[in-house]
Amino acid sequence: MPSLSHFFETFFGKSNVFIDAMLLTLELTVVSIVVGIIIGLFFALLKVSNIKILGYISDVYIYLVRGTPLIVQIFILYFGISSIFLLPDFWAASLALALHNGAYIAEIFRGTIQSIEKGQLEAGRSLGMSPALTLRRIILPQAFRRALPPLGNQFIIGLKDSSLAAFISMDELFNVATTLGSNNFDEMTYLLIVAVYYLILVAILTIIVNLIEKKLSISDR
Amino acid sequence: MKKSLITILSTLFILVLLSGCAEKEQLEDGTKLIQKDQFVFASSGEFKPFSFVKDDMEVTGFDVEVGKAVAEKLGLEPVPKRIKFKGIVEGVKTGRADAAVASHTVNPQRSKHVSFTTPYYYSGPQIFVRPDSKLKNIEDLKGKEIAASKGSTYADTAAEYSKNIKTYDSDITALKALSEGRHDAVITDFVTGKTAIKAGFDIVGRQLIERSEQSIVIPQDNPQLLKRVNTALEELRQDGTLKKLSQKYFGEDITTKPE
Repeated sequence: MPSLSHFFETFFGKSNVFIDAMLLTLELTVVSIVVGIIIGLFFALLKVSNIKILGYISDVYIYLVRGTPLIVQIFILYFGISSIFLLPDFWAASLALALHNGAYIAEIFRGTIQSIEKGQLEAGRSLGMSPALTLRRIILPQAFRRALPPLGNQFIIGLKDSSLAAFISMDELFNVATTLGSNNFDEMTYLLIVAVYYLILVAILTIIVNLIEKKLSISDR
Repeated sequence: MKKSLITILSTLFILVLLSGCAEKEQLEDGTKLIQKDQFVFASSGEFKPFSFVKDDMEVTGFDVEVGKAVAEKLGLEPVPKRIKFKGIVEGVKTGRADAAVASHTVNPQRSKHVSFTTPYYYSGPQIFVRPDSKLKNIEDLKGKEIAASKGSTYADTAAEYSKNIKTYDSDITALKALSEGRHDAVITDFVTGKTAIKAGFDIVGRQLIERSEQSIVIPQDNPQLLKRVNTALEELRQDGTLKKLSQKYFGEDITTKPE
């Protein structure tokens, strides 16, 4: 274990490199979460649509993602997809992370949409709303609120999973730590430094999710 | 049952769709490049002194400087790119880099998948011992305790001569242990050993066991680039650039074929 003074010296001495790396980690995380939510919502709707073939498509996607390790998916998008067209490094990483998050988010949304009582749908319909309008105005807002706690959890997993982008040459936090660590024969110090960065990022993410949760729960009272 | 079968089959179908090779830009002479005015070459950045990063994460080292010199001879802009070592060959195959200047040892397994240029340096495993040791060559190694780095070709080499093998996570750790009085010998790359001696380790080199050739990796479907890089390397040998770089990093010339 490195001494405390050596740790702090490196922590502040290398902060400019680590802050660049942290920004890349944040970019990867934000893009993969936002795109993941869109993908997740889309496949969740396919699954609750009652149209068999759409349900199948959703099943294939979720099975594909949940059935393979994330690192395999990242390599497939980075090396394999190049047969069709060459995705830039950043988008290969972000898209792999987004597709991965999307499958889990789809399952979260499907669960919460199905948890909204049938009566709500019937009430909307009896007021003369179309099924689409009922979904948008009544079902989805409630489903989203119920989805927040598990979503927050998935966001944290997504943030930490972004470290796997290190294997396809993204200079994010983990990659910078292992590269500098092996260059200086001092891996432990650098790994401890990135651990601190991840803890700070997760703390910020948790606070944001809690704030949204509080805001959306006002109508519950 | 039927439903899950359909799910699995369509999954496999999608996976099959995902295999093959990227479209690159083609120059008039048939050279294929990712960008027509750039030479994108890969190295790991985790193999000092061949490739490593400076404090600002800019990659440098012997391999990287050779790559830059080759790019200049080709009249292209050098673009070094860091890829983790085990992904480099795949990266060259699938068009993530035009070539790799990453200390790849020429061997038959790799030659099935990629092309190699002429060697740009020569290396090989060497026996290292403490200065007071009587151990001189491979015959003396029988029954002795040899240390090497885990999973390296050197651990396999050591196993050919003795049953008593200790492994470490890195070659440097093994040499450190040797200099502190543990084990009878260490087998590692002669450049690594030399670097350690320079850093003040109390050890000496004995017999060089075998010779390995390190070359630039080029995709197999790009013979014109292979030809041009070979020409560039020959020019760099002739005008003394390779020798100068070798002197700068190792204090001796490792770029000419040893006797």
